[in-house]
Amino acid sequence: MSIILSVLIFFPLVGVLLILIAGRKEGRDEAIKWIALGTSVITLLISVAVLIGFRNGFPGLQMVDRFDWIPFLNIQYFVGVDGISILMILLTAFISMIAILASWTAIDHQIKTYYILMLLLEIGMMGVFLAQDLFLFYIFWEFTLIPMYFLIGMWGGQERVYASIKFFLYTMAGSLLMLLAILYMGITNNSFSVPDLIAGRDAFASAQYVLFIGFAIAFAIKVPIFPFHSWLPDAHTQAPTAGSIVLAGVLLKMGTYGFIRFNLPLFPEASFDYAPAIAVLAIIGIIYGALVSFPQKDVKKLVAYSSISHLGFVMLGIFSLNAAGIEGGILQGVNHGLSTGALFFLVGVIYEQRHTREMSEFGGLWKVVPVFTALSLVVVLSSMGLPGLNGFVGEFSILLGSMGAYSLGGHPWIYTAFATTGVILAAVYLLWMFQNVFMGALKNPKNEKLRDVNKRELVIFIAFLIFIVWIGVQPSPYFNLMDSTVSTLVNDISATVLVGQ
Amino acid sequence: MTAYGLAPLLLIFPAIGFFFNALFGRRFVEADSKIGERWSGWIATLAALSAFGVALALFATLQANHFEAMVVPVADWIVIPAADFAVAWAMRVDTLSVTMMLVVTGVGSLIHIYAMGYMHGDKDFSRFFAYFNMFIFFMLILVSGSNYLVLFVGWEGVGLCSFLLISYWFTVEKDGKMVNADAGRKAFIVNRVGDFGMVLAIILIFWTFGSLGFERVFESAIEMTVHQETVHFGFFSAPIGAVITAIVALFLLGATGKSAQIPLYVWLPDAMAGPTPVSALIHAATMVTSGIYLLVRSNVLVELARVSFVEQGIGIFGVISAPDLIALVGASTALLAGLIAFTQFDIKKVLAYSTVSQLGFMIAAVGMGAYVAAMFHLITHAFFKALLFLGSGSVIHGMEHGHHHIHHAHSDDHPSDAEEFHDQEPDHFDPQDMRTMGGLRHKMKWTFWTYLIGALALAGIFPFAGFWSKDELLAHANVNHSNVFSAVYWMLTIAAFCTAFYMGRQLMMVFFGKPRHGAAEHAHESPRLMTVPLVILAVLTIIGGSMNLPNISFGGGAAADSHAVVEEGHGEEMVASSKGLTLALEHWLEESLLIFELSEEGGELAAYENYEYPHTPTTLVWVVAIISTLLALSGLLLAMFVVYRKRPLSATDPDPLQKLKPLWWFRILPLETLYMKTVVPAFKWLSDWLAFTVDWNFWHDFVHNNIIRDMFVSFSTFLADVFDKYGVDGTVNGIGSVTKGLAGVLRKTQTGYTRSYALGIFLGAVLLLAYFLWFAF
Repeated sequence: MSIILSVLIFFPLVGVLLILIAGRKEGRDEAIKWIALGTSVITLLISVAVLIGFRNGFPGLQMVDRFDWIPFLNIQYFVGVDGISILMILLTAFISMIAILASWTAIDHQIKTYYILMLLLEIGMMGVFLAQDLFLFYIFWEFTLIPMYFLIGMWGGQERVYASIKFFLYTMAGSLLMLLAILYMGITNNSFSVPDLIAGRDAFASAQYVLFIGFAIAFAIKVPIFPFHSWLPDAHTQAPTAGSIVLAGVLLKMGTYGFIRFNLPLFPEASFDYAPAIAVLAIIGIIYGALVSFPQKDVKKLVAYSSISHLGFVMLGIFSLNAAGIEGGILQGVNHGLSTGALFFLVGVIYEQRHTREMSEFGGLWKVVPVFTALSLVVVLSSMGLPGLNGFVGEFSILLGSMGAYSLGGHPWIYTAFATTGVILAAVYLLWMFQNVFMGALKNPKNEKLRDVNKRELVIFIAFLIFIVWIGVQPSPYFNLMDSTVSTLVNDISATVLVGQ
Repeated sequence: MTAYGLAPLLLIFPAIGFFFNALFGRRFVEADSKIGERWSGWIATLAALSAFGVALALFATLQANHFEAMVVPVADWIVIPAADFAVAWAMRVDTLSVTMMLVVTGVGSLIHIYAMGYMHGDKDFSRFFAYFNMFIFFMLILVSGSNYLVLFVGWEGVGLCSFLLISYWFTVEKDGKMVNADAGRKAFIVNRVGDFGMVLAIILIFWTFGSLGFERVFESAIEMTVHQETVHFGFFSAPIGAVITAIVALFLLGATGKSAQIPLYVWLPDAMAGPTPVSALIHAATMVTSGIYLLVRSNVLVELARVSFVEQGIGIFGVISAPDLIALVGASTALLAGLIAFTQFDIKKVLAYSTVSQLGFMIAAVGMGAYVAAMFHLITHAFFKALLFLGSGSVIHGMEHGHHHIHHAHSDDHPSDAEEFHDQEPDHFDPQDMRTMGGLRHKMKWTFWTYLIGALALAGIFPFAGFWSKDELLAHANVNHSNVFSAVYWMLTIAAFCTAFYMGRQLMMVFFGKPRHGAAEHAHESPRLMTVPLVILAVLTIIGGSMNLPNISFGGGAAADSHAVVEEGHGEEMVASSKGLTLALEHWLEESLLIFELSEEGGELAAYENYEYPHTPTTLVWVVAIISTLLALSGLLLAMFVVYRKRPLSATDPDPLQKLKPLWWFRILPLETLYMKTVVPAFKWLSDWLAFTVDWNFWHDFVHNNIIRDMFVSFSTFLADVFDKYGVDGTVNGIGSVTKGLAGVLRKTQTGYTRSYALGIFLGAVLLLAYFLWFAF
């Protein structure tokens, strides 16, 4: 029994209270920002403490905090961390901190509400990754929608209202079937706790193909898997920079995390049988996302569509149902959070000064802002999967996993080959973007007065780059964190599915 | 003496140079351009020279330790215990990798020195040298990696440097197009097409052999082939021969990208947009030979693919063995590029196509199993092609100064900005156009004589380095008998003739005759920093052939001799010659090329009935040498003293070859045109159509807004009407009117309606749940 995870989840509430107190008087905006930042830094430190206490070789849940919550419905408050979620909580804490720091000057109205929502969002996301009771999970899952809805709707761009409603409805509609599936399992097994349900999955084995879809649609919308991606470009282009960073960095990972945490262990046979279909959608996503990114005129939209392509890789890895694929998928989730988060940030830096994101407005920025350009180049290369940087490690593990996948039939190399075309296409749209923004002659006089990165922006960039390089050169510690949990999961699936095959 | 442990220093020195120039170089140069340039340039050059020193130490270590190969581990890299996957950062020191290290750092250092002179006055001087050191760093990773994944890190890293250096002058725009940036992007993307093959090959290697380390891969490949095992992973299974053939074919795809072969050579001519030292170092001497290095490194796999075809008929589509395909791709590239080089006016473009062509020779050599000959040609080519490119840079430099001189006489307000100086001449004078040159042999003596040596070596004139390496390669094709080898032999022989011809043409147009433009008239010799490396490279070009001289036997007819060589094979001849000065490179490289051991008596591959490793003759094959010398001489003489003796007379005079329509047709670049008219527009159209028509208009607007939203709205309106009509109670009425209101308001999209949606959905969910539970229990 340990309360550290509960502390981790709810610590941002302290920040919320302090902001409420500080915000009773006008003109304390600076204080509010510092409170928010301080809270997110302490939350990050708590998550590091969790990391230090985390035992690598242990496959099950650690630091569990569990007690009955609504006994007559068998609902528990049950949180725990294992190899699948440890990286996710670190990512959440890191991205939340970055997002708050990235909002410093970009957000200039209703500051109090804004930072309160950011902290509430962090609570929701932490809860999603730590909840081990399906009902609790569902509450956190839906809870994340509310702050995000307001972040887009209040601080977003021109069509923020449309985008926020669409975001809300899309994800909420997706979650409803999941709620039904959760209730069904809770009733058949008299429990909502995930380990109990996994142990007793035979009770709903006959319905698993339907239940799988109930969960899968909710997660697929969140990821988003093609063709459920229609909300994403709207949400991203309208959201404020920090909103996009959190959305890409963490919220999308809730979908991929959900597949690993729930779909695979609860419905192994269904996962195995649906794997080829999901892999096909994932690969369509990889190629489609990349193709659609290329002609975008709005840089932020280009980055938004590229997420579809990157998340396609993650999904392919997960449904390879082997260790290389799943671990690569989890790591690539982190990588996407870092590189795409950083891409949104760099778009935000320009947007803050020029109030436009049209690619045609730019060109030749290298000569004006050389440091910013050099940093952006590394981020672009990371997103492109250049070996030696983080993206490559994830992509390679995923492709490796996909070729050796039992779940993909007798010719898994066909999947791998199609997915690998994403490597070419990523170079096409990212270099196009880089060239059109940074290279060429400086023609637009409005760009002459752009300033190079300031200290705050440099800190954010360096924070991203440390992990981009670290994961690229030394990913082993990251793999070690998840190895034993994933290994157990994979063995469990294989033992269930491959008997007699 | 064992200095294997020094290997990591090889990478540390260029890394230091890179960080110095990347972090502080700009400030140095901006503070004081003269001193700043000196610091920036010399630190980068010292970094390269230090790496060269380390390579020499490794060379000495190998000599002292019986050429024993050593893997120097540096750190873990990707380790996924549950997947049994482990790849380390580790360096392999053996005769092959050290050969490459010496070439990269040796030629690289010379080009660094040259570049200090060439780039003088450029505003971004330090950025250039930062890239240059970064390139040396990645190139050394490529050649020293002890497994395929580390090799791939270098492979992509040099691609990145190539992109950055091609688009180095990225502000230049012509006709509204960023020509340099476009060329850089093209290089990167085309190379990525090749990388597609690399990634798949590497993954296939892991699942087949359970490792990516060279040693283990080759060992298991031999064992599995000898036992004719079946490869299993996942539910996939295939005979080992088929898998190895696939791996080699995928490597070939990678090599066609990096080493600019058909069908992916199209990026290399455009890559000449970069500064000339870049063309010399990256796009002639080192990076573009990576594909050859890769295949030579994988010699065991290439030969096993040949074994599988000969013994079991497993080939590409069952038609051709993977090595034969490699040989044919190389030979056709050599020939095609040789023909295209005829029609170029840009001094660097001629050399670029010449590079494509020479790389074709090397690739063809690899495909024929002539690994040593491929490496020999790789090394000599590095010398003389670097020499030629640097010489052309000197010519361009001279032309620019000449042009500057005449331009300066007319107007005093000419911008002294170095960047414009290189590329944006106001009257569109092109300092690289050979038609504006002529007569430079008097103006630039050092450049002329060194260039002449390089050109003669490239043309294959005795006794320059190019003669020996090309001859070894042709002899190999000639004495090993098969249809493919004969075809390759004749294609390469014709290509060699083309080489001599276009070099004769270039010599005439650039150095002989009379100046055809004021710039050529006022051209002058380049500074010492530039001519000294030229002289050193010229010396290497003269003596380079001696590193692998064949035995020369005067007894017997040439034809009979060549047969004797093949029959005698490797055994006695070698013993006899190994004490002499001949075939030094072969004896040195043999230690790394496993295939030699395997194909010897008692080796794993010696027992096969049909398969025989195609040995390279160890004695000079007179008939081949005579034919190629005659062709080379006639090519040179034909160009110099017949076709281009008098023409062109002026800069606008048409080329005498232009009358030969079929030949001139090659000017429109067969594949380039095809891609620009099919693949590129098709891609643009498809992505446009998907992005705007499918994704936005159809999926986003039509399906989501019109169908889903509007249908929901009409449905709820309908429900409201129905409920209204039958007078259901007030609660429902309330919902009804709320949803009814949605219809009009949603189009205006105002806040607040999410609540109604949410309520609607929530009630819907409750109804569904009730229904669900009703039937479930």
